[in-house]
Amino acid sequence: MTGRTSKTTTRFLGIATAAALALGVTACSSSASSSDGKGGSFTYWSMWSKDEPQAKVLQAAITAFTAKTGITVNVTWAGRNVSKEIGPAVAANKAPDLWDDSAGTVLGTLGSEGQAMDLSSVLAMKIPGENVTVGSVIPTKYLASQPKDSDGTSDYVIPYEVTAEGIFYNAADPAMQAAMPTAPTTWAGFISVCAALKAKGEPCIASEGEDSWTNGLYFDYELLANGVNWSALAADKTGASWDAPGVAAAVNDLEQLVSGGYIVPTYTATKYPAQETNWANGKAGFYMDGSYVTAEVSKEIPSTWKMAMMLPPGVSQADVGTFGFSIPKRAKNASAAEQFIAFFMQKSQLSGISTVADNITPRADIPAPAELASVQQALNAPTLRVDFSNTVPSDYYNKVYNQNFLDFWHGKTTAAQFIAAMKSAQVTYWQTQG
Amino acid sequence: MSIAIPARGRRGRRRRTGPAVRIGGWLVWLFVILDIGLLLWTFTSSLRGNSDIMNHPFGLPGSPKFGNYAKALSDGGFGRAALNSVFTSVASSAVVIAVASPCAYVLARRRTRTSSFLSMMFVLGLGVPLQVLVIPLFIGLSKVNLTDSLYGLILVYVGLAMPFTVYLLTGFFAGVPAVLEEAAVLDGAGPVRTFLSVIVPVARGGITTAFLLQIISAWNETLFALVLLHSQDKITLPVALVNFLSTEQYDGQDWGVLFAGVCIILAPMLALFSWLGSRIIQGMTVGIGK
Amino acid sequence: MTAQVTQSPRIGRARGDSLRRARRSEGPLERQHRRTFWPFAAPALLFYLVLFIAPIAFAAYTSFYKWDGLSPMSNRGLNNYRILWRDPVFHTALTNTLKILIVGGVVTFVIALGLTMILREMNRGLFARSVLFFPTLVNAMVFGIAAGFLFSPSGPVDQVLHALGWQTPPQWLSTENIFPMVMGTLIWTSTGFYTAIIMAGVDQIPQYLYEAAELDGCNAWQRFRHVTLPMAWEVISVCAVLWTVSSVNIFQLILVFGGSNSNLPPADSWNTALYVYGEAFPQSSAPELGLATAAAMVALLLVAVITILLRRLMRRERIEY
Repeated sequence: MTGRTSKTTTRFLGIATAAALALGVTACSSSASSSDGKGGSFTYWSMWSKDEPQAKVLQAAITAFTAKTGITVNVTWAGRNVSKEIGPAVAANKAPDLWDDSAGTVLGTLGSEGQAMDLSSVLAMKIPGENVTVGSVIPTKYLASQPKDSDGTSDYVIPYEVTAEGIFYNAADPAMQAAMPTAPTTWAGFISVCAALKAKGEPCIASEGEDSWTNGLYFDYELLANGVNWSALAADKTGASWDAPGVAAAVNDLEQLVSGGYIVPTYTATKYPAQETNWANGKAGFYMDGSYVTAEVSKEIPSTWKMAMMLPPGVSQADVGTFGFSIPKRAKNASAAEQFIAFFMQKSQLSGISTVADNITPRADIPAPAELASVQQALNAPTLRVDFSNTVPSDYYNKVYNQNFLDFWHGKTTAAQFIAAMKSAQVTYWQTQG
Repeated sequence: MSIAIPARGRRGRRRRTGPAVRIGGWLVWLFVILDIGLLLWTFTSSLRGNSDIMNHPFGLPGSPKFGNYAKALSDGGFGRAALNSVFTSVASSAVVIAVASPCAYVLARRRTRTSSFLSMMFVLGLGVPLQVLVIPLFIGLSKVNLTDSLYGLILVYVGLAMPFTVYLLTGFFAGVPAVLEEAAVLDGAGPVRTFLSVIVPVARGGITTAFLLQIISAWNETLFALVLLHSQDKITLPVALVNFLSTEQYDGQDWGVLFAGVCIILAPMLALFSWLGSRIIQGMTVGIGK
Repeated sequence: MTAQVTQSPRIGRARGDSLRRARRSEGPLERQHRRTFWPFAAPALLFYLVLFIAPIAFAAYTSFYKWDGLSPMSNRGLNNYRILWRDPVFHTALTNTLKILIVGGVVTFVIALGLTMILREMNRGLFARSVLFFPTLVNAMVFGIAAGFLFSPSGPVDQVLHALGWQTPPQWLSTENIFPMVMGTLIWTSTGFYTAIIMAGVDQIPQYLYEAAELDGCNAWQRFRHVTLPMAWEVISVCAVLWTVSSVNIFQLILVFGGSNSNLPPADSWNTALYVYGEAFPQSSAPELGLATAAAMVALLLVAVITILLRRLMRRERIEY
C-alpha cells in the first residue's frame, strides 16, 4: 500500500476516535438531566406522537400538573409503537410508570399476563379541584365493557377517550343523498345503496386493504346481525361453529361487497391512510372505522362536509373502544402516575380531548364535538359492547384470522373457502395452545 | 465497443464482441443508469415539497427546500439519531479492531490444534442467522440493564462482528512475512511491541478495511437497534427512519422530509464509498471471496 | 465441514510454513507466539463466547419452554417445534425464506455471472462495477421506502406505464405481490455485490488462459464457460454459502416494504426473521419467546443443512494456476 493512503487512514482513525470520545461524553450526559424536581417524577410513554392533538392536550396537562405538584413527568411520545415496546420494556424491568392505549391493547400486552395494575384505587381518588371521585365521573358502563384481565378486573385502564365504531360518511354529499335517502335497514338495502353510488361513478366503500381490523368490523357486525358471537365462534376448539348458517350468511353478505366491486379499486395495494385520505377527498362513499376518524380527517375535508355515522343494517348496538391510562405492576413511581391520572380527569383538562382533539371523553358533562353527535348517541346506550379485537386472543388474531380474512376481503378466496380456511386454522390453533 | 478502435492492438482486435455481449453491455449500463437515477431522484426529492413530489414525481426542485432537512433533523429526530449512529458505529468498530486483531494475529501465526479449533469456531459463527441471537441478547442485556443504551448496542455490535473480523484479519496477518517479526524478536522486542510496531503497520491496509466494513455494517444495522433502543435520544438512524414512517401515518405524510431522512442515512455511505470505494470493494472481495 | 468451506488458501499455506518450521525446533519467535497465544486470543474469545456462543445456547434452551419474558418459564418439551410444524404462518415464513434462498439465489447468481462475463469483455467495467456494488452499502429500508412511493397505485411507475400504453398495470403492492416485489428488489440490490466478488476472483485468472482460448477460436460465451467458470468456481461456491447466510438474515426490507406501517407487514410476506420478530415483539399481545427461539433454531438448522449440501454439490478439485 502507498504512503498516502496510510496517512489518510491514520488521520481518519484519529478523527474517528476523537469523534467517538466527544460523542461518548454527550451521549451519556443527557439522560440524567433535569428530571429531579422536588416532588419526585414519573415516566410516561404515550401512544400519541408529538404532533397529534391528543399529545398537545396531554402536554398541556403535564405542564400544569408539574407546576401544581412539582412532580416532573418524563414523557416519551412513542406513537402507536408503544404497544410493541411495552411488553419487552416490562420484561427488561424498564417499564414506564404510566402509559396509554386502547383497553384491548393493554389487555393483550400486559393485562393477560397479570402485569397491569388494578386501578380501582384511582377510581376512588378525588379529582383535584372538584369534589368528586374519578369513579363518579366515568360511567361504569365503559369500565364494564373492558374485558377482564387475568386478575379478574376490568379496571386496568382508566379511559380518557371513548370511541364507537361504525360506517362514516358525508351526509351532505349529493350523490350520497340521492343514493341513500334513509339509512338502509337490511343488507340488501345497503348493497343497493352501493350499487346506486357505483352507478354514479363513486366507489361505495373506502377500505385500507392491509388492515384486518377496520375491515374486520364489517365481519364483526355482520356476525352480530346474524346472531353469531365472534368471541364464542373463535373460542370453539372443534371449529364446528363455523358451519352455523349465521356465519355463512354473514360471510356471503361481505362477499357481495368484494365481488360486486363496491370497494375502492386500488384498495388491495395501499396502506393506511391512503384510502382514508381518498374517502375524505370524496373519492368513496363510506369508511368503516372508530369515531376518532373524524378528527384524523378534519384537516382534509371541506367545510361543506357533514359527518355522519351509521351502523351496518341489522345492528342496533355500536361496538365501542376505550383509550386510557394504564400502570404496569412493575412501575416504580406508581403513586405519582396515579395522581396524574386523577389530575387529567378534571373537566378543565379532559375537555381538551373534545375541544382540541375532537374526540369523545367518558365524562358525561363534557359535550361531544358537534360532528360526533351521532356517535355520542350510540354511546348513550345503557350497556356497551367492545369490538372483536378485545375479546379474541391476539395470537388467534395473527395466526388464524388476519391473513385468511384479508385473502377473502381481497377476493382471493370465496366465501366457502374462507369459512373452510378459518375452520381448519382455528382447529389447528387450539390444538397447539397450552 | 472495442471493435471500433483497431489501433488498440492485439487484444482489442482479437476480442470479438458478439451481439449477445453487446446487448449485455447495454443492460449493464441500463442497470448503472437506473441505480444512479434512483440515487439522484432520491436526492432531488429530498429538496421538494410533498405535493410537488406527488404531482410531478420526476420533476426538479424549483427552489430547493432545505427546510425538509431542518425538519427531518429536528422534528424527525434524525439529528440526534445521526450522532448516535456515528458514535455507535465508530466506537463499535474501534473496539472490534482492538479486540479482534491480536486474536487474529496469533491464530494466523500459531499452528496448533487449539488454534485451528478456535479458528474453526469463529468461522462457524459466520453461519449463524442473527434472528437466533436477537432474543437471548435482548434478555441478557436487560438483565444487566443495558437495553435502551448505546453502550449495550455497541457491545452487541462488537460481539456480532467478532467472527467475520477475526476471519478477515487472520487472512491479512497470514500474508505478513514472518521474517519481519523474527528480526524484531531477535532485537529483544516483547510480544506487544512486536505486534504494534511491526505487524500492525504492515497489515494496516487490512485493519483499515476491517474497520471500514464494520462501520458500514453497524451504520446500517436495523434489527438489533430496533429491538434494543427506543428512547428518542438513544435511537440510531435506522430506528429513527422506522419511527418516522409510523408517525407519518398519523401526522400526515411528507415524502420530502422522508426522503431527506433517507438521504441522511445514505449520504455518509456514499461519501465513504466515493472516497474509499476501491478499498471497500477490495476488502469485501478479498475477505469473502478469497 | 464449514471450516473447510471458508478456509482460505492463503491461511492454509502460511500455516503450513510455520508448521514445518515448528517441527524443526522452537525458535524465539515460535516461543513468543506460544506464550502470547492466550493473552492475545482471550479478549476476542471472551466477547465471542459471551455475546455469541452463550446466546445460541440460551436460544436452544428457551426453545423448549413457554415463556413471555414476564412470568416464569414453563417447560414445553418439543411442543414449540410441534406448533411450528402445524402453524400455517410459519410454513409461509419458511417457504418464503427458502424462496429467497433458492429462487432469489439462482436468479442473482445467473445475473451476476452474466454480468461478470460482460464486464470482463467491457473496457470501462470498473466504473460500472462500482455503481453496481454501491447498493450493498445502503440500508435495505431505503429501497423499501422508494419502492413504496414509486410503485404506489397511480404512482410514478404506473404513470410511465400508462404513458407507454399499459392501462392496467398490476397492483404492485397488493398483499400477494409484496413478496415477489421484495424478491425483485433483493435481487436487484445484491447482484452487484456478488458480481464484484466474483469479478475479483476472475481478475486473478491469468490473462494467458484467455489468450489461449481466443487463439482456439472461442467466443465470449465459450471463454466464459471454459475459462472463467471453472477458474472462479471456488469463489462462486464461497459466494453461494455467503448468500445462504445473508438471505436468511433479510429483515428490514420486508419490514418496511411498501412504505409505511407501524404494524407488521402481512404474514404472506414474512420470512423466518420476521416470524421471530413478530412472535417475540408482537404489536399488541404477549411475547412468545419460546416459539420465537424455536423458529430461529429452525432457521439455524436450515442454514447448516444448506451450507453442507452446497459444499457437497459444488465441491471440485481445486485448479492451481
